Amino acid sequence: MSAPAVSLVAMLYVLAVIAAVMMGRRVSLWRAGRPMQVDWLKGIQALPKRYLVDVHHVVGRDPFTARMHALTAGGLLAGSGLLLLAPLAGGFRLYWALIALLFAAMLAGGAMVRKRRTPKPARLSGGRFNMLPLLLIGYAAGCFLVALDAASGGWLWLLAWPGLWLAAAGGMGLVLQLDRGPMRHAFAGALHLVAHPRPGRFEGRRETALAPLDLEAPRLGVETPADFTWNRLLGFDACIQCGRCEVACPAFAAGQPLNPKKLIQDLAATIVPGGTNAAYAGSPYPHARAVAGVGGPQQAIIGREAMIHPDTLWSCTTCRACVEECPMMIEHVDAIISLRRHETLECGAVPEKAAPALAELRYADDAQGRPLVARTDFAAGVPLPLISARGEADILLWLGEGAYDMRHGRSLRALLKLLHLAKVDFAVLGPEEKDCGDLARRLGDEATFQRLAGDNIATLARYRFRRILTADPHALHTLRNEYPAFGGHYDVVHHAALLDELVAAGHLAPGALALADVTYHDPCYLGRYNGEVEAPRRLLDRLGLNRVEMERHGKRSMCCGGGGGAPLSDIEGETRIPDIRMGQAAATGAGIVAVACPQCTAMLEGVTGERPEVRDISELVLMAVEAAASPADNRAARQPEPVA
Amino acid sequence: MKVTVLLSAGLHPVSGRPCPAAVELQAIRLAHTLGTPELTGLHAGPAADAVRDALGQGLPRLLWLETAVEDDPLAGLVAALATDRPDLILAGRQAQGADDSGLLPYALAKALGLPIIADAVAIEPAGEGAVHVVQALPRGARRRVTVRLPAVVTVHPAAPTALPFAFAAARRGTVERRAGQAALRSGAAIDERPYRKRPKLIAKAAAGASAADRLKAATESAAGGGRLLVDPAPDEAAREIIAHLRELGVLRR
Ligand code: SF4
Ligand code: SF4
Repeated sequence: MSAPAVSLVAMLYVLAVIAAVMMGRRVSLWRAGRPMQVDWLKGIQALPKRYLVDVHHVVGRDPFTARMHALTAGGLLAGSGLLLLAPLAGGFRLYWALIALLFAAMLAGGAMVRKRRTPKPARLSGGRFNMLPLLLIGYAAGCFLVALDAASGGWLWLLAWPGLWLAAAGGMGLVLQLDRGPMRHAFAGALHLVAHPRPGRFEGRRETALAPLDLEAPRLGVETPADFTWNRLLGFDACIQCGRCEVACPAFAAGQPLNPKKLIQDLAATIVPGGTNAAYAGSPYPHARAVAGVGGPQQAIIGREAMIHPDTLWSCTTCRACVEECPMMIEHVDAIISLRRHETLECGAVPEKAAPALAELRYADDAQGRPLVARTDFAAGVPLPLISARGEADILLWLGEGAYDMRHGRSLRALLKLLHLAKVDFAVLGPEEKDCGDLARRLGDEATFQRLAGDNIATLARYRFRRILTADPHALHTLRNEYPAFGGHYDVVHHAALLDELVAAGHLAPGALALADVTYHDPCYLGRYNGEVEAPRRLLDRLGLNRVEMERHGKRSMCCGGGGGAPLSDIEGETRIPDIRMGQAAATGAGIVAVACPQCTAMLEGVTGERPEVRDISELVLMAVEAAASPADNRAARQPEPVA
Repeated sequence: MKVTVLLSAGLHPVSGRPCPAAVELQAIRLAHTLGTPELTGLHAGPAADAVRDALGQGLPRLLWLETAVEDDPLAGLVAALATDRPDLILAGRQAQGADDSGLLPYALAKALGLPIIADAVAIEPAGEGAVHVVQALPRGARRRVTVRLPAVVTVHPAAPTALPFAFAAARRGTVERRAGQAALRSGAAIDERPYRKRPKLIAKAAAGASAADRLKAATESAAGGGRLLVDPAPDEAAREIIAHLRELGVLRR
């Protein structure tokens, strides 16, 4: 080995020791969190797959970044690894040629990191991140030169010595960033993949249900960082501040004081004793409310005197767009709900308009205190069999709170008519149906949620049915994914999926609709929460409609603003989320926005001015079925009438 | 300062399930505006499930005088308050869903020999042994009075909304259960008649006036018109009242 190469290898061992110390400091901070059993062996075995498949599935949505990351991380890890093994195999010149090649790749990656940041897009962070391209390029170039010299047999020693200094400076800079800088994501991210709080995500399971809260616990929800389990704290540290979540967040887009990236950074800052938010150099919370911006492992997180303002917490629609986009697999919504639980259950600090709704849920089982018998009023003459009169039915129709709404009542009437036409054997619970608890749960009122869930599960246990049908994706998610934790296991089907089935089986015969172009708005709780993005589209295509897609659709769709109790929290921003979404729909040139959720209907119908018409999928199917029955009507206007 | 809030067994107007009466929860919030009073809830009745939830809305402890269903709560309340001697007794202006005559605070004040101020929307401390009470009067008018303690104050629904419910606080709050007093209600005095809707007094302005005037008359007629005199001389006030009653046709001479 040449002298510069020996020095480089020696230096790398020194850097490795410093790196271990830096990482150890961070690891000791996570130990403040609550204990959590982790299957280490399984996690470590699964790490390569989780990284190469699951992470790159997300990173690969941006091909430039994916290449950039593969080159940089691959070159850095493999090159440095081989350098550390050089005492064994460093005698071969070919070995050094391989190392030079790896660092050349890393150099290219570093150049891409630099290119991506000039000019810096708003979603990326400045501060410590500004140094990153320089450090990467310095370390890669330095190692490359030393390795090249060693490969050449010492001919390039004139370049090797400056190279050594370059590598030392760059390497030292990178190692010092392991604690608080961008390089933290490398080791925290890898550990996060191993010890992820929702390992089922990587096994193709639906991991969107909130975890039940033990209502007997001495403290409910999360007040301080120490109330999070340790692997959640680890998760916050994994954030690389890529800003993908920020771009996806509807509340951020509407100018409400929420930015999921900053939220995660604030949480990571509170882990450190005496931590502050001063080092953060990315986009702020829009119209950020003033906070002290300080925290510590045993200090409250939420509050004007703490790190995060309550308005930030209550701006979230729980749409999971951030989770869907995050390459580090961070679970923002879990964190937000844990914090909300503490605010609601321990402090009673709910948004002003949410308090009466929760009270009505507590005493009347409906968020607006409406009589439960009135839920079926919408049917207005369409026969609606009660399951209590028969004891069983093939399909139990869960009406949800949308049934009280006049606009959604139209959609449900269309659905009823279709069910009758297709001779489906169905029934409803009628006055026995209580609110499913979705709203209470998203607002952090786990006590009310668990009570409602228990009551509903007890009611459902008294009847025999094969499947539950609902037109409300929020109820669908709650019944399908969240009731099992309380002993209620049901086969729940969304009305779009059932109508699709009925048409496919020939029980409904829709004619072709000669309407304007239609664009389908995916409800978050159907698309992202349940992965159902195909059935509604298939169904629309069966109606002979010309379907156009918004830029954000499917699992990457944008929220209408109606979830998570956000309409009740009503945190002030610049614009309204539904206005933004409707703008995206209008930009496709479509005349109709097809929806499949009562919340989406309400939010999008609330948009004023010239805009596409909002139609529930069931309304469109009924139109098509009726058009087939009387072909004369088929020449009706291409644009449906506005709904009064 | 020792404050006791009277809590009734409310029923939810729609579901009919036990629930605390909203205006009593507002009374708890008003009590909190007096600094940090020694605050107790007091309930007399056969069950406490309805009132227990008040522990989640700002009440640290509840004293429950257990009585039989047919017992009149008044006697037990009077006895308990006479021994406990709170500085301020707060009550809702009316119970919700049960025996909502709204008379209990008056009967209680009479039995305890205390002054009663009705329809408070705000209470502020006024030095040692006194409070300012802002009363809600019809049509949004407010009146500020100062009352020497101890006193009974009833709270109006226009008071600030109740503190939101906190499950953990309800869990932490304590309920002290004591045997109440048996006291049969005097059923004889109550005369039951079917409900009859009172005819509205239509103000004179209604006929032939502008649309705006008619709307005003139609929406305000229940209050019966009249004039607001601030701090009038007693003579003038009496004359004004008589004139008003004549105008309404209540006084015919
Ligand atoms: S939370 Fe995830 S998506 Fe958001 S900035 Fe951090 S790493 Fe990127
Ligand atoms: S769940 Fe949706 S609204 Fe909430 S932080 Fe994530 S992207 Fe924003």
